[in-house]
Amino acid sequence: MKNNRTYIDTVHTYGRIWCIAALAVILAVPALMSWHLNAWPDIGIVGKAFGSIAILFYPTAVIEVLAYAPLLGAGGTYLSFLTGNIANLKLPCALSSMENAKVRSNSEEGEVISTISIATSAITTTLIIAVFVVIFAFNPKFTQLMQSDALAPAFKQVTYTIFGALAASYFVKHWKISIFPIAAISLILVFAGNIQIGILIFVGVVLSLLGAHVMYKLKWV
Amino acid sequence: MFQDFKSDPFLFMIAVGVIVFVIAQSLFFLLRAMKRGKEIGLSRETMKNTISSSALFSIAPAISIAVTVLVLSVALGYVLPWIRLSVIGAIQYEVPAAEAAIDAAGLSGGIGRDISDPKTFTAIAWVMSLGCILPLILIPIILKKVQSKVSGTVNKNAKWADLMSAAAFIGLISAFLGRGIAGIGEVQITESGEKINAVIGDGAGVLSITAIVSSIVFMLLLTLLNKKLQWKWLEAFAMPFSMLLSIGVIVLLNTVAPDLAAIEWRY
Repeated sequence: MKNNRTYIDTVHTYGRIWCIAALAVILAVPALMSWHLNAWPDIGIVGKAFGSIAILFYPTAVIEVLAYAPLLGAGGTYLSFLTGNIANLKLPCALSSMENAKVRSNSEEGEVISTISIATSAITTTLIIAVFVVIFAFNPKFTQLMQSDALAPAFKQVTYTIFGALAASYFVKHWKISIFPIAAISLILVFAGNIQIGILIFVGVVLSLLGAHVMYKLKWV
Repeated sequence: MFQDFKSDPFLFMIAVGVIVFVIAQSLFFLLRAMKRGKEIGLSRETMKNTISSSALFSIAPAISIAVTVLVLSVALGYVLPWIRLSVIGAIQYEVPAAEAAIDAAGLSGGIGRDISDPKTFTAIAWVMSLGCILPLILIPIILKKVQSKVSGTVNKNAKWADLMSAAAFIGLISAFLGRGIAGIGEVQITESGEKINAVIGDGAGVLSITAIVSSIVFMLLLTLLNKKLQWKWLEAFAMPFSMLLSIGVIVLLNTVAPDLAAIEWRY
Protein backbone atom coordinates (compact mmCIF):
# COMPACT_ATOMS: atom_id res chain seq x y z
CA MET A 1 0.00 0.00 0.00
CA LYS A 2 2.85 2.35 0.86
CA ASN A 3 4.51 1.59 -2.48
CA ASN A 4 1.24 2.22 -4.27
CA ARG A 5 0.90 5.68 -2.74
CA THR A 6 4.50 6.47 -3.50
CA TYR A 7 4.16 5.59 -7.19
CA ILE A 8 0.93 7.56 -7.66
CA ASP A 9 2.40 10.49 -5.73
CA THR A 10 5.43 10.58 -8.00
CA VAL A 11 3.15 10.40 -11.05
CA HIS A 12 1.40 13.54 -9.79
CA THR A 13 4.67 15.31 -9.02
CA TYR A 14 6.20 14.57 -12.43
CA GLY A 15 2.85 15.13 -14.14
CA ARG A 16 2.61 18.63 -12.72
CA ILE A 17 6.15 19.46 -13.80
CA TRP A 18 5.43 18.19 -17.34
CA CYS A 19 2.14 20.15 -17.43
CA ILE A 20 3.89 23.41 -16.55
CA ALA A 21 6.62 22.66 -19.12
CA ALA A 22 3.93 21.87 -21.72
CA LEU A 23 2.20 25.16 -20.97
CA ALA A 24 5.49 26.98 -21.60
CA VAL A 25 6.07 25.04 -24.85
CA ILE A 26 2.54 25.72 -26.14
CA LEU A 27 2.79 29.45 -25.47
CA ALA A 28 6.34 29.55 -26.83
CA VAL A 29 5.05 28.43 -30.25
CA PRO A 30 3.08 31.62 -31.13
CA ALA A 31 5.65 33.75 -29.28
CA LEU A 32 8.54 32.35 -31.33
CA MET A 33 6.53 32.66 -34.55
CA SER A 34 5.66 36.28 -33.78
CA TRP A 35 9.28 37.06 -32.90
CA HIS A 36 10.78 35.31 -35.94
CA LEU A 37 8.31 36.79 -38.41
CA ASN A 38 8.51 40.14 -36.64
CA ALA A 39 4.73 40.12 -36.66
CA TRP A 40 3.27 40.61 -33.18
CA PRO A 41 -0.50 40.56 -33.54
CA ASP A 42 -2.97 43.22 -32.54
CA ILE A 43 -3.96 42.46 -28.93
CA GLY A 44 -7.51 43.64 -29.64
CA ILE A 45 -7.95 41.03 -32.38
CA VAL A 46 -6.50 38.23 -30.23
CA GLY A 47 -8.58 39.30 -27.22
CA LYS A 48 -11.82 39.49 -29.19
CA ALA A 49 -11.33 36.08 -30.85
CA PHE A 50 -10.05 34.46 -27.66
CA GLY A 51 -13.06 35.78 -25.70
CA SER A 52 -15.49 34.25 -28.16
CA ILE A 53 -13.86 30.80 -28.17
CA ALA A 54 -13.08 30.73 -24.42
CA ILE A 55 -16.83 30.92 -23.73
CA LEU A 56 -17.23 27.93 -26.03
CA PHE A 57 -14.20 25.81 -25.04
CA TYR A 58 -13.43 26.50 -21.40
CA PRO A 59 -16.62 25.09 -19.83
CA THR A 60 -16.15 21.96 -22.02
CA ALA A 61 -12.53 21.72 -20.85
CA VAL A 62 -13.64 21.65 -17.19
CA ILE A 63 -16.22 18.96 -17.94
CA GLU A 64 -13.66 16.92 -19.92
CA VAL A 65 -11.11 16.97 -17.09
CA LEU A 66 -13.73 15.84 -14.55
CA ALA A 67 -15.26 13.21 -16.84
CA TYR A 68 -12.11 11.62 -18.27
CA ALA A 69 -9.69 11.77 -15.32
CA PRO A 70 -11.29 8.89 -13.37
CA LEU A 71 -11.23 6.67 -16.47
CA LEU A 72 -7.74 7.54 -17.70
CA GLY A 73 -5.85 7.22 -14.42
CA ALA A 74 -3.27 9.78 -13.22
CA GLY A 75 -0.44 9.12 -15.71
CA GLY A 76 -2.92 8.67 -18.54
CA THR A 77 -4.60 12.01 -17.75
CA TYR A 78 -1.33 13.98 -17.71
CA LEU A 79 -0.36 12.44 -21.04
CA SER A 80 -3.75 12.62 -22.75
CA PHE A 81 -4.38 16.25 -22.02
CA LEU A 82 -1.10 17.24 -23.65
CA THR A 83 -1.66 15.37 -26.89
CA GLY A 84 -5.44 15.75 -27.19
CA ASN A 85 -7.91 13.64 -29.16
CA ILE A 86 -8.97 12.02 -25.89
CA ALA A 87 -12.56 10.91 -26.47
CA ASN A 88 -11.92 9.68 -30.01
CA LEU A 89 -8.52 8.01 -29.48
CA LYS A 90 -6.66 7.98 -26.14
CA LEU A 91 -9.58 6.95 -23.92
CA PRO A 92 -10.88 4.10 -26.13
CA CYS A 93 -7.29 2.93 -26.66
CA ALA A 94 -6.61 2.82 -22.90
CA LEU A 95 -9.92 1.12 -22.11
CA SER A 96 -9.35 -1.47 -24.83
CA SER A 97 -5.87 -2.20 -23.40
CA MET A 98 -7.19 -2.53 -19.83
CA GLU A 99 -9.92 -4.86 -21.12
CA ASN A 100 -7.35 -7.04 -22.93
CA ALA A 101 -4.99 -7.10 -19.94
CA LYS A 102 -7.98 -7.94 -17.70
CA VAL A 103 -7.22 -5.19 -15.20
CA ARG A 104 -9.69 -2.83 -13.52
CA SER A 105 -9.50 0.82 -14.50
CA ASN A 106 -9.40 1.96 -10.89
CA SER A 107 -6.55 -0.33 -9.77
CA GLU A 108 -2.80 0.27 -9.84
CA GLU A 109 -2.48 -2.37 -12.60
CA GLY A 110 -5.06 -0.37 -14.54
CA GLU A 111 -3.09 2.83 -13.92
CA VAL A 112 0.07 1.20 -15.32
CA ILE A 113 -1.61 -0.37 -18.37
CA SER A 114 -3.52 2.84 -19.14
CA THR A 115 -0.29 4.88 -18.99
CA ILE A 116 1.60 2.41 -21.23
CA SER A 117 -1.29 2.39 -23.71
CA ILE A 118 -1.73 6.18 -23.87
CA ALA A 119 2.03 6.83 -24.08
CA THR A 120 2.33 4.37 -26.98
CA SER A 121 -0.71 5.86 -28.68
CA ALA A 122 0.68 9.40 -28.26
CA ILE A 123 4.07 8.43 -29.72
CA THR A 124 2.50 6.53 -32.64
CA THR A 125 0.04 9.33 -33.42
CA THR A 126 2.66 12.07 -33.20
CA LEU A 127 5.05 10.20 -35.49
CA ILE A 128 2.35 9.30 -38.04
CA ILE A 129 1.08 12.89 -38.19
CA ALA A 130 4.68 14.12 -38.65
CA VAL A 131 5.39 11.64 -41.45
CA PHE A 132 2.13 12.47 -43.25
CA VAL A 133 2.63 16.23 -42.96
CA VAL A 134 6.11 15.96 -44.46
CA ILE A 135 4.69 13.85 -47.32
CA PHE A 136 1.81 16.33 -47.80
CA ALA A 137 4.28 19.21 -47.95
CA PHE A 138 6.48 17.59 -50.58
CA ASN A 139 4.16 15.29 -52.55
CA PRO A 140 1.00 16.94 -53.93
CA LYS A 141 -0.06 13.69 -55.65
CA PHE A 142 -0.24 11.90 -52.30
CA THR A 143 -2.24 14.81 -50.89
CA GLN A 144 -4.70 14.50 -53.80
CA LEU A 145 -5.01 10.75 -53.15
CA MET A 146 -5.81 11.32 -49.47
CA GLN A 147 -8.46 13.87 -50.46
CA SER A 148 -9.90 11.66 -53.23
CA ASP A 149 -13.58 10.72 -53.32
CA ALA A 150 -12.72 7.11 -52.45
CA LEU A 151 -10.61 7.83 -49.36
CA ALA A 152 -11.77 11.16 -47.91
CA PRO A 153 -15.26 9.98 -46.78
CA ALA A 154 -13.67 6.82 -45.28
CA PHE A 155 -11.45 8.90 -42.97
CA LYS A 156 -14.57 10.55 -41.58
CA GLN A 157 -15.79 7.13 -40.42
CA VAL A 158 -12.73 6.14 -38.35
CA THR A 159 -14.36 7.27 -35.10
CA TYR A 160 -17.40 5.11 -35.81
CA THR A 161 -15.20 2.05 -36.41
CA ILE A 162 -13.49 2.63 -33.03
CA PHE A 163 -16.75 2.95 -31.15
CA GLY A 164 -18.46 0.16 -33.08
CA ALA A 165 -15.67 -2.26 -32.13
CA LEU A 166 -15.70 -1.05 -28.52
CA ALA A 167 -19.50 -1.25 -28.37
CA ALA A 168 -19.27 -4.91 -29.40
CA SER A 169 -17.26 -5.76 -26.30
CA TYR A 170 -18.91 -3.32 -23.85
CA PHE A 171 -22.52 -3.74 -24.90
CA VAL A 172 -22.28 -7.55 -24.76
CA LYS A 173 -21.03 -7.39 -21.18
CA HIS A 174 -23.20 -4.50 -20.00
CA TRP A 175 -26.21 -4.69 -22.33
CA LYS A 176 -28.71 -3.83 -19.59
CA ILE A 177 -27.19 -0.42 -18.88
CA SER A 178 -26.46 0.26 -22.57
CA ILE A 179 -30.01 0.36 -23.95
CA PHE A 180 -31.14 3.54 -22.20
CA PRO A 181 -28.24 5.90 -23.10
CA ILE A 182 -28.04 4.84 -26.76
CA ALA A 183 -31.84 5.17 -27.19
CA ALA A 184 -31.91 8.53 -25.37
CA ILE A 185 -29.01 9.97 -27.37
CA SER A 186 -30.50 8.83 -30.68
CA LEU A 187 -33.81 10.44 -29.71
CA ILE A 188 -32.11 13.70 -28.72
CA LEU A 189 -30.30 13.73 -32.07
CA VAL A 190 -33.56 13.23 -33.98
CA PHE A 191 -34.69 16.62 -32.63
CA ALA A 192 -31.29 18.35 -32.37
CA GLY A 193 -29.08 16.57 -34.90
CA ASN A 194 -26.31 19.16 -35.02
CA ILE A 195 -25.65 19.27 -31.28
CA GLN A 196 -21.91 19.70 -30.58
CA ILE A 197 -20.08 16.41 -29.84
CA GLY A 198 -18.58 17.76 -26.58
CA ILE A 199 -22.06 18.50 -25.23
CA LEU A 200 -23.40 15.20 -26.58
CA ILE A 201 -20.68 13.26 -24.74
CA PHE A 202 -21.51 15.07 -21.51
CA VAL A 203 -25.24 14.37 -21.93
CA GLY A 204 -24.51 10.73 -22.86
CA VAL A 205 -22.28 10.16 -19.82
CA VAL A 206 -24.75 11.82 -17.40
CA LEU A 207 -27.74 9.87 -18.78
CA SER A 208 -25.79 6.61 -18.72
CA LEU A 209 -24.65 7.17 -15.12
CA LEU A 210 -28.21 8.04 -14.03
CA GLY A 211 -29.64 4.98 -15.81
CA ALA A 212 -27.01 2.67 -14.27
CA HIS A 213 -27.54 4.24 -10.83
CA VAL A 214 -31.30 3.62 -10.97
CA MET A 215 -30.77 0.03 -12.18
CA TYR A 216 -28.22 -0.58 -9.42
CA LYS A 217 -30.62 0.73 -6.77
CA LEU A 218 -33.41 -1.45 -8.18
CA LYS A 219 -30.95 -4.40 -8.16
CA TRP A 220 -31.42 -4.96 -11.91
CA VAL A 221 -27.67 -5.06 -12.42
CA MET B 1 10.02 38.64 -47.82
CA PHE B 2 7.03 36.88 -46.30
CA GLN B 3 5.82 35.18 -49.48
CA ASP B 4 6.24 31.70 -48.02
CA PHE B 5 6.42 32.62 -44.36
CA LYS B 6 4.03 29.82 -43.33
CA SER B 7 6.58 27.22 -44.46
CA ASP B 8 9.62 29.04 -43.12
CA PRO B 9 12.34 26.57 -42.03
CA PHE B 10 12.33 28.18 -38.57
CA LEU B 11 8.66 27.27 -38.20
CA PHE B 12 9.50 23.68 -39.13
CA MET B 13 12.18 23.74 -36.42
CA ILE B 14 9.59 24.88 -33.87
CA ALA B 15 7.37 21.97 -34.94
CA VAL B 16 10.23 19.49 -34.55
CA GLY B 17 10.94 20.89 -31.07
CA VAL B 18 7.31 20.39 -30.07
CA ILE B 19 7.28 16.82 -31.46
CA VAL B 20 10.47 15.99 -29.51
CA PHE B 21 8.84 17.37 -26.35
CA VAL B 22 5.69 15.27 -26.80
CA ILE B 23 7.68 12.10 -27.48
CA ALA B 24 10.02 12.77 -24.54
CA GLN B 25 7.08 13.16 -22.17
CA SER B 26 5.41 10.00 -23.49
CA LEU B 27 8.64 8.00 -23.21
CA PHE B 28 9.20 9.28 -19.68
CA PHE B 29 5.79 8.07 -18.50
CA LEU B 30 6.01 4.87 -20.57
CA LEU B 31 9.32 3.77 -19.04
CA ARG B 32 8.21 4.62 -15.51
CA ALA B 33 4.95 2.72 -15.95
CA MET B 34 6.77 -0.33 -17.33
CA LYS B 35 9.16 -0.30 -14.39
CA ARG B 36 6.24 -0.07 -11.98
CA GLY B 37 4.35 -2.79 -13.89
CA LYS B 38 7.29 -5.14 -13.40
CA GLU B 39 7.39 -4.33 -9.67
CA ILE B 40 3.70 -5.10 -9.14
CA GLY B 41 3.87 -8.35 -11.10
CA LEU B 42 2.47 -7.50 -14.52
CA SER B 43 3.95 -9.92 -17.05
CA ARG B 44 6.34 -8.75 -19.73
CA GLU B 45 4.02 -10.26 -22.33
CA THR B 46 1.00 -8.27 -21.09
CA MET B 47 2.95 -5.01 -21.28
CA LYS B 48 4.41 -5.91 -24.69
CA ASN B 49 0.93 -6.74 -26.02
CA THR B 50 -0.38 -3.44 -24.65
CA ILE B 51 2.31 -1.57 -26.57
CA SER B 52 1.75 -3.46 -29.85
CA SER B 53 -2.04 -3.31 -29.75
CA SER B 54 -2.09 0.39 -28.75
CA ALA B 55 0.27 1.26 -31.60
CA LEU B 56 -1.87 -0.67 -34.09
CA PHE B 57 -5.05 0.79 -32.58
CA SER B 58 -3.71 4.33 -33.16
CA ILE B 59 -2.71 4.00 -36.83
CA ALA B 60 -6.08 4.63 -38.50
CA PRO B 61 -7.16 7.46 -36.15
CA ALA B 62 -3.70 9.05 -36.53
CA ILE B 63 -4.03 9.03 -40.32
CA SER B 64 -7.48 10.57 -40.06
CA ILE B 65 -6.06 13.30 -37.77
CA ALA B 66 -3.20 13.86 -40.25
CA VAL B 67 -5.74 14.31 -43.04
CA THR B 68 -7.45 17.07 -41.04
CA VAL B 69 -4.19 19.03 -41.27
CA LEU B 70 -5.19 19.47 -44.92
CA VAL B 71 -8.46 21.17 -43.89
CA LEU B 72 -6.48 23.92 -42.18
CA SER B 73 -3.55 23.99 -44.61
CA VAL B 74 -5.34 26.18 -47.21
CA ALA B 75 -5.41 29.07 -44.74
CA LEU B 76 -2.44 28.33 -42.52
CA GLY B 77 0.06 26.19 -44.44
CA TYR B 78 1.21 22.90 -42.95
CA VAL B 79 3.33 23.79 -39.94
CA LEU B 80 0.87 25.55 -37.63
CA PRO B 81 -1.95 22.95 -38.11
CA TRP B 82 0.65 20.21 -37.63
CA ILE B 83 1.74 21.66 -34.28
CA ARG B 84 -1.80 22.36 -33.15
CA LEU B 85 -3.06 18.88 -34.01
CA SER B 86 -0.07 17.24 -32.31
CA VAL B 87 -0.49 19.11 -29.03
CA ILE B 88 -3.92 19.12 -27.31
CA GLY B 89 -5.61 20.12 -30.53
CA ALA B 90 -8.46 18.35 -32.21
CA ILE B 91 -10.03 19.52 -35.44
CA GLN B 92 -13.36 20.39 -33.78
CA TYR B 93 -11.53 22.99 -31.63
CA GLU B 94 -8.95 24.27 -34.07
CA VAL B 95 -11.36 25.23 -36.86
CA PRO B 96 -13.59 27.48 -34.68
CA ALA B 97 -10.47 29.03 -33.06
CA ALA B 98 -8.96 29.86 -36.46
CA GLU B 99 -12.33 31.09 -37.79
CA ALA B 100 -12.81 33.34 -34.73
CA ALA B 101 -9.39 34.95 -35.22
CA ILE B 102 -9.91 35.40 -38.98
CA ASP B 103 -13.30 36.96 -38.25
CA ALA B 104 -11.87 39.26 -35.55
CA ALA B 105 -9.25 40.41 -38.05
CA GLY B 106 -12.12 41.56 -40.26
CA LEU B 107 -11.50 39.04 -43.01
CA SER B 108 -14.15 36.96 -44.74
CA GLY B 109 -13.95 33.43 -46.12
CA GLY B 110 -12.84 31.73 -42.90
CA ILE B 111 -10.35 28.89 -43.16
CA GLY B 112 -11.08 28.54 -46.88
CA ARG B 113 -8.92 31.59 -47.65
CA ASP B 114 -5.15 31.90 -47.75
CA ILE B 115 -3.82 33.96 -44.85
CA SER B 116 -1.17 36.16 -46.41
CA ASP B 117 -0.68 38.69 -43.62
CA PRO B 118 1.86 37.46 -41.00
CA LYS B 119 0.17 39.46 -38.22
CA THR B 120 -3.17 37.75 -38.88
CA PHE B 121 -1.33 34.42 -39.00
CA THR B 122 0.31 34.96 -35.62
CA ALA B 123 -3.00 36.22 -34.18
CA ILE B 124 -4.54 32.89 -35.24
CA ALA B 125 -1.60 31.00 -33.67
CA TRP B 126 -2.11 32.87 -30.37
CA VAL B 127 -5.87 32.29 -30.31
CA MET B 128 -5.48 28.57 -31.10
CA SER B 129 -2.84 28.19 -28.38
CA LEU B 130 -4.66 30.23 -25.69
CA GLY B 131 -7.91 28.44 -26.49
CA CYS B 132 -6.54 25.02 -25.57
CA ILE B 133 -4.45 25.62 -22.45
CA LEU B 134 -7.09 25.48 -19.70
CA PRO B 135 -6.73 21.71 -19.05
CA LEU B 136 -2.98 22.18 -18.49
CA ILE B 137 -3.75 24.75 -15.79
CA LEU B 138 -6.62 22.78 -14.23
CA ILE B 139 -5.03 19.34 -14.13
CA PRO B 140 -2.06 20.15 -11.86
CA ILE B 141 -4.48 21.83 -9.45
CA ILE B 142 -7.42 19.41 -9.29
CA LEU B 143 -6.33 16.00 -10.66
CA LYS B 144 -4.92 14.66 -7.38
CA LYS B 145 -8.12 15.62 -5.54
CA VAL B 146 -10.33 14.05 -8.22
CA GLN B 147 -8.25 10.86 -8.20
CA SER B 148 -8.31 10.53 -4.41
CA LYS B 149 -12.12 10.96 -4.39
CA VAL B 150 -12.38 8.19 -7.00
CA SER B 151 -10.04 5.93 -4.98
CA GLY B 152 -12.20 6.53 -1.91
CA THR B 153 -15.34 5.45 -3.79
CA VAL B 154 -13.56 2.40 -5.22
CA ASN B 155 -12.37 1.32 -1.78
CA LYS B 156 -15.87 1.71 -0.34
CA ASN B 157 -17.76 -0.18 -3.05
CA ALA B 158 -15.77 -1.81 -5.85
CA LYS B 159 -18.81 -3.22 -7.69
CA TRP B 160 -20.51 0.16 -7.74
CA ALA B 161 -17.30 1.88 -8.90
CA ASP B 162 -16.81 -0.64 -11.72
CA LEU B 163 -20.41 -0.24 -12.84
CA MET B 164 -20.14 3.56 -12.84
CA SER B 165 -16.89 3.38 -14.77
CA ALA B 166 -18.52 1.11 -17.40
CA ALA B 167 -21.62 3.36 -17.47
CA ALA B 168 -19.49 6.47 -18.05
CA PHE B 169 -17.78 4.82 -20.98
CA ILE B 170 -21.06 3.49 -22.39
CA GLY B 171 -22.32 7.10 -22.27
CA LEU B 172 -19.32 8.13 -24.36
CA ILE B 173 -19.88 5.27 -26.83
CA SER B 174 -23.59 6.21 -27.05
CA ALA B 175 -22.72 9.79 -28.00
CA PHE B 176 -20.56 8.71 -30.93
CA LEU B 177 -22.82 5.86 -32.08
CA GLY B 178 -25.87 8.12 -31.75
CA ARG B 179 -24.19 10.64 -34.01
CA GLY B 180 -23.57 7.91 -36.59
CA ILE B 181 -27.24 6.90 -36.41
CA ALA B 182 -28.91 10.33 -36.35
CA GLY B 183 -26.29 13.13 -36.43
CA ILE B 184 -26.60 15.98 -38.94
CA GLY B 185 -23.71 16.74 -41.30
CA GLU B 186 -22.69 20.01 -42.89
CA VAL B 187 -25.39 21.60 -45.03
CA GLN B 188 -25.11 23.88 -48.03
CA ILE B 189 -27.99 26.10 -49.14
CA THR B 190 -28.25 26.48 -52.92
CA GLU B 191 -29.26 29.68 -54.68
CA SER B 192 -32.80 28.31 -55.01
CA GLY B 193 -32.90 27.82 -51.22
CA GLU B 194 -32.61 24.03 -51.40
CA LYS B 195 -30.65 22.22 -48.68
CA ILE B 196 -27.95 19.92 -50.03
CA ASN B 197 -25.32 17.72 -48.41
CA ALA B 198 -22.11 19.78 -48.32
CA VAL B 199 -19.66 17.02 -47.26
CA ILE B 200 -20.07 13.32 -48.01
CA GLY B 201 -19.53 11.13 -44.98
CA ASP B 202 -19.96 13.67 -42.17
CA GLY B 203 -23.65 13.04 -41.41
CA ALA B 204 -25.56 9.91 -40.45
CA GLY B 205 -25.99 7.74 -43.51
CA VAL B 206 -24.96 4.56 -45.30
CA LEU B 207 -21.25 5.08 -44.58
CA SER B 208 -21.59 5.74 -40.85
CA ILE B 209 -23.95 2.79 -40.38
CA THR B 210 -21.64 0.55 -42.44
CA ALA B 211 -18.74 1.62 -40.20
CA ILE B 212 -20.65 0.88 -37.01
CA VAL B 213 -22.21 -2.40 -38.11
CA SER B 214 -19.10 -3.81 -39.84
CA SER B 215 -16.80 -3.00 -36.91
CA ILE B 216 -19.26 -4.63 -34.48
CA VAL B 217 -19.49 -7.73 -36.72
CA PHE B 218 -15.69 -7.98 -37.16
CA MET B 219 -15.12 -7.52 -33.44
CA LEU B 220 -17.64 -10.24 -32.55
CA LEU B 221 -16.18 -12.59 -35.20
CA LEU B 222 -12.61 -12.07 -34.05
CA THR B 223 -13.60 -12.54 -30.41
CA LEU B 224 -15.37 -15.77 -31.34
CA LEU B 225 -12.36 -16.92 -33.37
CA ASN B 226 -10.10 -16.18 -30.44
CA LYS B 227 -12.29 -18.25 -28.12
CA LYS B 228 -12.72 -21.19 -30.52
CA LEU B 229 -9.15 -21.45 -31.76
CA GLN B 230 -7.47 -20.27 -28.55
CA TRP B 231 -5.33 -17.78 -30.50
CA LYS B 232 -4.00 -15.85 -27.51
CA TRP B 233 -2.21 -13.29 -29.69
CA LEU B 234 -5.46 -12.31 -31.38
CA GLU B 235 -7.02 -11.12 -28.13
CA ALA B 236 -4.97 -7.93 -27.99
CA PHE B 237 -5.35 -7.21 -31.69
CA ALA B 238 -9.07 -7.90 -32.19
CA MET B 239 -9.95 -4.23 -31.74
CA PRO B 240 -7.42 -2.66 -34.13
CA PHE B 241 -8.00 -5.42 -36.70
CA SER B 242 -11.77 -4.82 -36.54
CA MET B 243 -11.22 -1.12 -37.14
CA LEU B 244 -8.86 -1.63 -40.06
CA LEU B 245 -11.07 -4.29 -41.69
CA SER B 246 -14.08 -2.02 -41.28
CA ILE B 247 -12.24 0.88 -42.93
CA GLY B 248 -11.41 -1.53 -45.80
CA VAL B 249 -15.14 -2.29 -46.20
CA ILE B 250 -15.94 1.45 -46.29
CA VAL B 251 -13.29 2.20 -48.94
CA LEU B 252 -14.56 -0.78 -50.98
CA LEU B 253 -18.19 0.33 -50.70
CA ASN B 254 -17.26 3.89 -51.56
CA THR B 255 -15.34 2.71 -54.64
CA VAL B 256 -17.77 0.05 -55.90
CA ALA B 257 -21.06 1.83 -55.13
CA PRO B 258 -20.35 5.56 -54.63
CA ASP B 259 -23.99 6.57 -55.13
CA LEU B 260 -25.16 4.20 -52.40
CA ALA B 261 -22.30 5.28 -50.11
CA ALA B 262 -23.25 8.95 -50.55
CA ILE B 263 -26.74 8.45 -49.11
CA GLU B 264 -27.17 10.39 -45.88
CA TRP B 265 -30.49 10.77 -44.10
CA ARG B 266 -29.40 13.67 -41.91
CA TYR B 267 -27.97 16.82 -43.46
